[in-house]
Amino acid sequence: MSGFALASTYSMPSASHGDVDLSDSSARARTRALNQFLSGIELKAFKIAQAGLRNEDDALDAVQDAMLQLARAYADRPAEEWKPLFYRILENRIRDMQRRRTVRGRVMAWLPFKGEDEDDDLDPIAQAPSDDPSPGHTLEVAEAMKALESALQTLPRRQQQAFMLRTLEGMDVAQTAAAMGCSEGSVKTHYFRALQTLRTQLGSFRT
Amino acid sequence: MNVQDENKHDYSELEDQARTLLTESVTRIDGRIRSRLNQARQAAVAEAGKRRRWFLGSFFLMPTAGAAAAAALVALVLWHHQPQGTFPVSTEGQMSAEDLDLIADGDGLDLMQDADGSFYEWAAAQSEAGVETST
Repeated sequence: MSGFALASTYSMPSASHGDVDLSDSSARARTRALNQFLSGIELKAFKIAQAGLRNEDDALDAVQDAMLQLARAYADRPAEEWKPLFYRILENRIRDMQRRRTVRGRVMAWLPFKGEDEDDDLDPIAQAPSDDPSPGHTLEVAEAMKALESALQTLPRRQQQAFMLRTLEGMDVAQTAAAMGCSEGSVKTHYFRALQTLRTQLGSFRT
Repeated sequence: MNVQDENKHDYSELEDQARTLLTESVTRIDGRIRSRLNQARQAAVAEAGKRRRWFLGSFFLMPTAGAAAAAALVALVLWHHQPQGTFPVSTEGQMSAEDLDLIADGDGLDLMQDADGSFYEWAAAQSEAGVETST
């Protein structure tokens, strides 16, 4: 009993209600900001990666790698720098994967068998029906989307990248230049050429 | 409307339509992809949190590490600047030990006495001879 009394007398003072560990709370705020940033761009980033890689799983891997790389190397940088940095990392990753795929394609061409995605199971979540109210409109949009995606895939990579970053991600010329690692003039040129090609291929399509 | 304006209008329309379609395609991304992207994001955020904790930990350990390094440096400097050579006490001790040996050695003392005696005898003889020759 006395021991208990002694211990309570000499124990460390507990934190009062107003005490805040600043370093911990700022770290948590930063982590929250990173989470918010990534959740805001992940779907668009996936679309951009998919346009470049033409494969869902590769696109997922590229986005995942870019997220990890950003978190590891640049999480402490100002939040406004994250977007161009992220897309720069993603672009490098896409280019690496394209190169690797080219090499793998050359090797596979010499082999007598092919083992591509034969055991691809159907995912029930992926197969869930859409809650879109108008099937007619859905079909139109799906067709227009298919045409746009096909046209996008014919673009040279830099033009495609400039177009996707400016149109889908809504980045301005300066941000796009930072993400692509080139001058603003180059971004404008790539973007304009992309528009020219798309207009030639698609004409004016209506959604 | 001239050709340039017409082109501009066309491009602007194309941009709008493409933007609408791409945005729509993003909203249609299926659950499997969304789930995997969510997992990837959670992993990345966890990684950032881990690295930040490590950094903060190292930041708080820095003063302790600095103090330890300073103490080690002082110890090293003191150790290297120790006085060199022999202590005077030990030298004196050696000499006194030699003297002690000499004193303890009976023969040595006799020799010394003999040698001193012969010297004095020789000196006395020399002085006597000098007196004789002068007279």
